[in-house]
Amino acid sequence: MSGNVDLYSIATSGVNASSRLLATASNNIANVNSEGYVRERTSVTSELYGGVGRATTERVINQFAQNQLRRDTTLVGEWETFSEKTSAIDNLLANEANSLSTGFSDFFASVQTAADDPTNLSSRQLVLSEGEALLRRMSSLSDFMEAKEEELNLEFTSMVKHANSLIESIGELNKAILVAKGNFKDSEPSALLNERDKAINDLAEIMDITVRESKNANGSLLVNLSSGESLVLEDGSFNLFELSDNADFMQKQLELATNFSGSKPNTDINIAEEDLGGALGGLFRYRDEVLGPSQRDIGQMAVAFADAVNSQNRLGMDLDFQLGGDIFTLPELSGLPYSNTPPTLALSGQFTPGKGNELTDADIRVSVTNVTGAGVPSEVSVELLNGDGTPKLDENNQPVLFSNITLNAGYTEIQGGIEIEFQSAGGYSVGNQFLVQPVKYSASDITMATSRPEDLAFASPVRGDAGNNNLGDATVVNTQVYDTDVTTSFFDGAGGLDAGAPAQIRFTAGDSYEVLDSGGTVLSTVTGATDFNNLLAQAGAGLNGSYDISLEGIPAAGDTFSISYNTNGSFDNQNALELASLKQASLVQLSTNSSSEPRTLHESYSTLVSRVGEESSSASIALQAAESMKVQSTEWFDSVSGVSLDEEAANLVRYQQSYAAAARILSTAQELFNTILSSVR
Amino acid sequence: MRISTNQLYDQNIRAIMDNQSGLADTQQQLSTGKKINRPSDDPVGTAKVLRMTEELASLKQYQRNNDLVTGSLEQQETILRNITDSVNRARVLTIQAGDGLLSDADRKALASEIGQIKDEVFDLMNSQNAEGDYYFSGYQSESQPFVLNAGGPGNAYTYQGDSGSNEVQLSNSVKVRSSASGQSVFEDVPARRNFTITNNSGITVDEAVVAGQGDFDTFYKNNYDPLTAANNNYRITITAPNQVEIQNLGTGNVVATKDFTSGEPFNFAGIDFNLQGGTGNTLDFQLDAPQKKNIATTLHDLQQALNNDELSDAAYREALSDALVGIDNGLEKIAFETSSIGARLNVAQSVYETNLDLEVSTKEARSAIQDVDYAEASAEFAKQEAALTAALTTFPRISNLSLFNYIS
Repeated sequence: MSGNVDLYSIATSGVNASSRLLATASNNIANVNSEGYVRERTSVTSELYGGVGRATTERVINQFAQNQLRRDTTLVGEWETFSEKTSAIDNLLANEANSLSTGFSDFFASVQTAADDPTNLSSRQLVLSEGEALLRRMSSLSDFMEAKEEELNLEFTSMVKHANSLIESIGELNKAILVAKGNFKDSEPSALLNERDKAINDLAEIMDITVRESKNANGSLLVNLSSGESLVLEDGSFNLFELSDNADFMQKQLELATNFSGSKPNTDINIAEEDLGGALGGLFRYRDEVLGPSQRDIGQMAVAFADAVNSQNRLGMDLDFQLGGDIFTLPELSGLPYSNTPPTLALSGQFTPGKGNELTDADIRVSVTNVTGAGVPSEVSVELLNGDGTPKLDENNQPVLFSNITLNAGYTEIQGGIEIEFQSAGGYSVGNQFLVQPVKYSASDITMATSRPEDLAFASPVRGDAGNNNLGDATVVNTQVYDTDVTTSFFDGAGGLDAGAPAQIRFTAGDSYEVLDSGGTVLSTVTGATDFNNLLAQAGAGLNGSYDISLEGIPAAGDTFSISYNTNGSFDNQNALELASLKQASLVQLSTNSSSEPRTLHESYSTLVSRVGEESSSASIALQAAESMKVQSTEWFDSVSGVSLDEEAANLVRYQQSYAAAARILSTAQELFNTILSSVR
Repeated sequence: MRISTNQLYDQNIRAIMDNQSGLADTQQQLSTGKKINRPSDDPVGTAKVLRMTEELASLKQYQRNNDLVTGSLEQQETILRNITDSVNRARVLTIQAGDGLLSDADRKALASEIGQIKDEVFDLMNSQNAEGDYYFSGYQSESQPFVLNAGGPGNAYTYQGDSGSNEVQLSNSVKVRSSASGQSVFEDVPARRNFTITNNSGITVDEAVVAGQGDFDTFYKNNYDPLTAANNNYRITITAPNQVEIQNLGTGNVVATKDFTSGEPFNFAGIDFNLQGGTGNTLDFQLDAPQKKNIATTLHDLQQALNNDELSDAAYREALSDALVGIDNGLEKIAFETSSIGARLNVAQSVYETNLDLEVSTKEARSAIQDVDYAEASAEFAKQEAALTAALTTFPRISNLSLFNYIS
């Protein structure tokens, strides 16, 4: 073995090693609060010929714990965003002031009150005010959701930007780590590794990613979307996200723009947003599962309500003794051209009056399938879509598609209570596609068509009167009105009935009657009537298209019943009762299958509320589960990689002592040297 | 397990945060008194609560409708009762007027009282509600239902309204009629059925008058033909010195053969005939078309008859008969409507009570779903509070346990 001289080098190596150990402990203590810091350990080995060898410092990390933590971070990221956003809608609907249910109740209650006293202008005014208040409630819900949609798009932009910058920095850190590893063979570039891990974790919060080590074992990490698309490549290059839209510019889509080096052509890859995971995936899911459908449900309810009130009001007679008109104005629709369609081409649409209960919550894609020589579409096909652009499915899970719809001049009715018209003079070609969103924003766009309380048509426009000299005891129980359109009905629109309209029923026997017009011409004869309901329907011959009359009691031969325009009939409340009964009427179509039974306004609102509530509550349960899983994996990770101050305190004492001891070796060596020197003196 | 320093802090902070958010939830429940503060608290319950709230709003409206209709029906009942009282008085007077000993002056006095009753009844028939709407004008509530049409023949008081009546909704399934038209209550009153002599060849008519109104009405009802006017024409032919034959001129059928003595009365279908004539002579008469006469007109006609000194005794008797039948038929219609109002008031009352019961039970059911159980929530609050206190107390003690405090 070597002699005294070596004591110096042993002492030096000991002091150096202790000092490295002290430095590591201090570094751990100093970084106790640094985010993403992984505790480090310095290990030293003894040298073959005495002394301690070079110390190497490494991070203490468990790859499995890290991966688990990353996965749980993604999950929490997704549910946290989804649940936070959903609870905003949840809270909106919880607010009594926004409740459409209360709005509907108030409106129909005011109609009832007005029906109790149909000539009272102030109770009529109340109906209009309640109608306006209901519109306000609907539009404030719809406006709120529209604002949420705009906010969401801003969030998409900033989140995508953030993700891109993370991807970029992971790529760059890969390169830097490669370089650092080449320069310092003994030590890891811990700070760079920590930074990269943190960037990857941050990215994992935004989307579901998988991370692999490079096959070359050079320390580079490859980052992919869990659906497979590459984000960070081996050579340090990377692909970035872009947001795009088609037709509806509010409906953003995510694309990945490749960034191939060399001659390989770059392309944009569509990303399946539903598989994205993470906070960004949570946002997309919130848009497609909560915000979009809620927006459309509100719109559908609003249009169904307004159309039903309008239709019923048109069947009545107002306080000016005119045929009723519209109370609400429904918005005009316009088709949004898809990217394959020149944006100069126009498609406009409107709601078919009286078909509000056929309206669905679907968006509609209109595709031109045939054009005339002048470039005017003559035939289209119509697809019903969900808010996220996927096709609606019918009961057999097939997409709902109506093809070969021939177009008329002017508006053509298509499925679901909508009419469309191609308004440009020409220039359309087969394959042009337009997106019509009938209900997305319509709740915000319905306005009052009248502010005159007199325009509420509470009276029936026809009345039946028993002849004064009737011998039987039959009385008119009610009149029904089916159509008041001046062009198609018996109403002349000028306070009267057409000349050929059925105007009198004359019994020729107890069970037989004639229907006469105002000139006394017999229009139809009925014999052997078993009941006296809907006498005109029994008479047939197209006499009952506009109105009908029912009797109660037993008529005698010679009895007459006249049917006339309800001139001066201001106290009549028949149509007001019909209006009030819309509350119980099935007005809102549930599915895309128009043969299924619609629901009432109240039912469909409470379905919306409870659906959002369910989404929100299940999201918060899922969030809790994800969070507790994340707590577990954080504990696991921290228990391996976290700094313990107590441990470091003990280490400090320990290394301090080893340092002192190593320093003591030096002084011992010096003493030995002095001893020798003095002994030779 | 190795515990890192941050783990220690994180764990404690998490415990405190969890407890705080739990406390905040419970506190909100306690302060709002509601278990469901947002739909996600209980989605199914929320839908139920919405439905029940809507039901309660409907019930509230139905009760308001009920109050209104009850008030209006009671008003109408009062009006009709007043009319009934007045008309009953007129009926007594009419019977008094039949006393043959009355002088012209007495008749005039009766006439003036009848006139006053008529005015009162006329006024009541044109009653208006608080809004100024006429009760009995059907749908045309802005226009006065009955107006005086003194100049023309026929009905002195004509009806201007229609036969419309309104309904009010009292529950999801029950509607009651809230108004009655003047047509059905006052106007649709049959006048006394009568006949008219249309042609006479060689017969001296000493008497031809409806004596048995009931018999005549039965005959009329069975035989009056509204479609073919000719079928209402009858001919009395003296076929032999001791026999008359009554033939329907429209059908040609002989409806009756009666024993006859010239100058002696005989009765056919409630009509007393006293004719003089010889074989082959004929007398034609027709059944008058049915007429409706409102009670005001009946009283008006009665007043006219009482005031008319020139009237023959027979005509005066006829007028009194007309009046009596008119009054009785009119009272019958009014009584019919009054009892119908009573029935509707009963319906309204029972629906009101049902609705009240429904309201109470719906409120209870809603409360069970959405209202907080204070005992349970308070206990929960205390539990959470204790947990938070424990976390807050132990946190500083754990964080003080550091090796650094012991090395110098």
